[in-house]
Amino acid sequence: MSYLDDGYTLRSWLTTHDHKRIAILYAIAITGFFFIGGAAATLIRLELATPAGDLVSHDTYNKLFTAHGVIMVWLFLIPSIPSVMGNFVLPLMIGARDLAFPRLNLLSWYLYMGGGILTLAALFLGGVDTGWTFYTPYSTMFSNSYVLLTLTGVFIVGFSSILTGLNFIVTVHTLRVPGMGWFQLPLFVWAIYATSAILVLATPVLAITLLLVAAERLFQIGVFDPAYGGDPLLFQHMFWFYSHPAVYIMVLPAMGLVSEIVPCFARKRIFGYRFMAYAILGIASIGFLVWGHHMFVSGQSMTASLVFSLLSFVVAVPSAIKVFNWTATLYKGSIRFDAPMLYALGFVGLFTIGGLTGLILAALAVDVHLTDTYFVVSHFHYIMVGGSVMAYFGGLHFWWPKVTGRLYSGVWARIAAVIMFIGFNLTFFPQYVLGYQGMPRRYHAYPPEFQVLNILSSAGASVLAIGYLLPLVYFAVSLWRGERAGANPWGATGLEWQTASPPPTHNFDTEPAAPKTVYGYDAEADARLAARGAPASTERAEA
Amino acid sequence: MKDKPEPAPKDFAAAVRGLAATWVALIALMLASLGSAYLNLGVGNVVAGLVIATIKTALVVWFFMALRRASAMTRIAGAVGLATLILLMALSFADYATRARAPARWQSPQQLAPALGVGAQR
Amino acid sequence: MTARTAPLADAARTPRHAETALRMETAELGMWVFIATEILFFGGLFFAYLYGRTHWPEGFAAAGRRTDVVLGTLNTAVLLTSSFAVALAVAAAEHDRRRWVARLLWLTAALGVVFLVIKGTEYRHEWSEHLFPGPGFALAATAGAELFFVLYFLTTGLHALHLTIGIVLMGAFAAGTEHASGWAHPPRLQVAALYWHFVDVVWIFLYPLLYLIVRHS
Repeated sequence: MSYLDDGYTLRSWLTTHDHKRIAILYAIAITGFFFIGGAAATLIRLELATPAGDLVSHDTYNKLFTAHGVIMVWLFLIPSIPSVMGNFVLPLMIGARDLAFPRLNLLSWYLYMGGGILTLAALFLGGVDTGWTFYTPYSTMFSNSYVLLTLTGVFIVGFSSILTGLNFIVTVHTLRVPGMGWFQLPLFVWAIYATSAILVLATPVLAITLLLVAAERLFQIGVFDPAYGGDPLLFQHMFWFYSHPAVYIMVLPAMGLVSEIVPCFARKRIFGYRFMAYAILGIASIGFLVWGHHMFVSGQSMTASLVFSLLSFVVAVPSAIKVFNWTATLYKGSIRFDAPMLYALGFVGLFTIGGLTGLILAALAVDVHLTDTYFVVSHFHYIMVGGSVMAYFGGLHFWWPKVTGRLYSGVWARIAAVIMFIGFNLTFFPQYVLGYQGMPRRYHAYPPEFQVLNILSSAGASVLAIGYLLPLVYFAVSLWRGERAGANPWGATGLEWQTASPPPTHNFDTEPAAPKTVYGYDAEADARLAARGAPASTERAEA
Repeated sequence: MKDKPEPAPKDFAAAVRGLAATWVALIALMLASLGSAYLNLGVGNVVAGLVIATIKTALVVWFFMALRRASAMTRIAGAVGLATLILLMALSFADYATRARAPARWQSPQQLAPALGVGAQR
Repeated sequence: MTARTAPLADAARTPRHAETALRMETAELGMWVFIATEILFFGGLFFAYLYGRTHWPEGFAAAGRRTDVVLGTLNTAVLLTSSFAVALAVAAAEHDRRRWVARLLWLTAALGVVFLVIKGTEYRHEWSEHLFPGPGFALAATAGAELFFVLYFLTTGLHALHLTIGIVLMGAFAAGTEHASGWAHPPRLQVAALYWHFVDVVWIFLYPLLYLIVRHS
């Protein structure tokens, strides 16, 4: 009996301790939030199709991009891969029956839902216009919008993150199957572990920062207000101390996912496993040292800016190592272009572009020109959307058979992946050009000479939207009429493939043995076996 | 390899004595901290206060919280938390310490009554 | 990161003992990770204090003189003693002195309540002396003084909130020690005690920063 059959009532779902069910609860919620945030983006792109600010007022526009940012960052990206895939797959990957603290896991979900609903309430009551970054003194002193309600929602969601991270850290330390040492762990586990460390260390600083903003707003007392001896830059230091590592919360799990997908569909062991693991740790730790690069033009001292600029260059090194290693994994591999692989390859390319433009922005002199332009907007969308969101979809497509026990249409999945890739680039590449030509971000009207590129971008957004909507259709179809999946339809290594699809509630009928080597793919052996007409070295069925 | 944890004291009386000694030390340090504040030591006051607080914390952590008996990973968890906080302060002070300040003449702010609720405004 | 071949592979022989030891290590690690998050949560306020103290030394000194050093020192002693009490309770539990466990835990909770009462008294004094930030602040003419009191009330308020949670926790364990189900067993108590000690450590740092800034005249 699978975990899906273990109780059909709504109550059994809402009071579950099963990490797999909780993962699905998260998945449904974040899908909803994704489309709400996407609706805000749709309105933004519709407004920006014409130079005049004619679709919405400037106030409404401010509220739209704030809603888009707040929802996409805190209600979608940060929980997405960790809380959906981490929750579902991590215990399976280490051969455990559940996380270390299953009830805490359920509490995390309820906190997430509570905070999310509060944030949505603020949105529907009238919205916030401060930008997702809540810069003071505007957010504390001048904004006449639902700042407090939004802050409260985000504060609560933050605790959901912290508890999830705590759960994962303790799980990885204490619940691994005997024989599974650190260097036998799949890279996805490493990635989630590093992400959890960031969640646990950075999010509390956000929490206290938001609390201080709330105090200042409620009582008109100034920690960030110069009139009382406070400093707006104090807010920025504290806010970005969280928010920069937050982007690594968003990208590290995606990198972990890619490291699972690429070896499987290249039928080849990941290149440089140890370096990949160290690179994950390097990104997580150096990522804590670079937050000042968001403050180059805010009044930070030149010395500090130099230090942060240098460190921002350094943090690119481990990321680059990972890109080289994924590429090297592909070399002489036996590549199959199934949907998960298309998403993973898309990630590698788009993340590289996004990362390189990050280096451009890290250069102080160039940043003075590019800051607060569409160049920055495009840079982070390349990484967060071209990177993290694509990887999230890759993970969905990779583990869908495991989670649901069904196979989806490979043809439609590949079509959707290609549409998403094309739509994404059409949307965001023109924004790089707009940025260095000087179009500012967060403006609802712009000079007419920018219109052509804006129209291209808006057109791309509509293509991208199709790419996002298609999976809803074929995934739903697969649930109703999809072919039943076996335990291991991709022929992948990893303990999660050693149990049924979908797994039983207790994950494994007998405790699995730790595999001797991680990523035990062998493309050459597969090829030799195939030449003799024998099945591949790992069990697989046609997807 | 997992560190061999220090075993709990076999004798209850010995355990009580150890904890009592720690408590006496903590109170003594608190009084020392209080006393040193009444001496004019300039920047030494701050240093003394924080150093004594650090020693007291170390005593609480080591003896009351039994961190010496915990696994290495647990100790690392606590240490990393502290290290990250120090990082926030130190690197931010790279900004504060190197930024020239030109404070305007201090004016008492024209304080409006605080307005609770949505959209508090000056 | 140390490479471990297996969690508790070298632990006790029987599966049940190993499972208990595993749960203990799990709970203890979980609590210390939680303490790490709290270090960063309070740490943000300490960071703001550091900013204020270095930028407005006279203001902080003037404001710091107005905190009640007698009550503050008394409270510090109360909290240190409460930590002693709960540490004794844990030791008593490990050595199977059940009656002492309950008594000591009630004492811990009681000392926590004493702390809150003293704190409340301080707050009342400060209210009547117009030291609450806002309109009518007594030291409005001194730059940075109000910032000190903003941080004073935020840090001690947040600390008091955490302490209240601790009091409830200690009370629950005191009542649960005698419970037939044995849910309040020693390993769990030790983990709960860690939370109390953490609250104490926060105060250990707040004490010199809020009460001992400039006491010499």
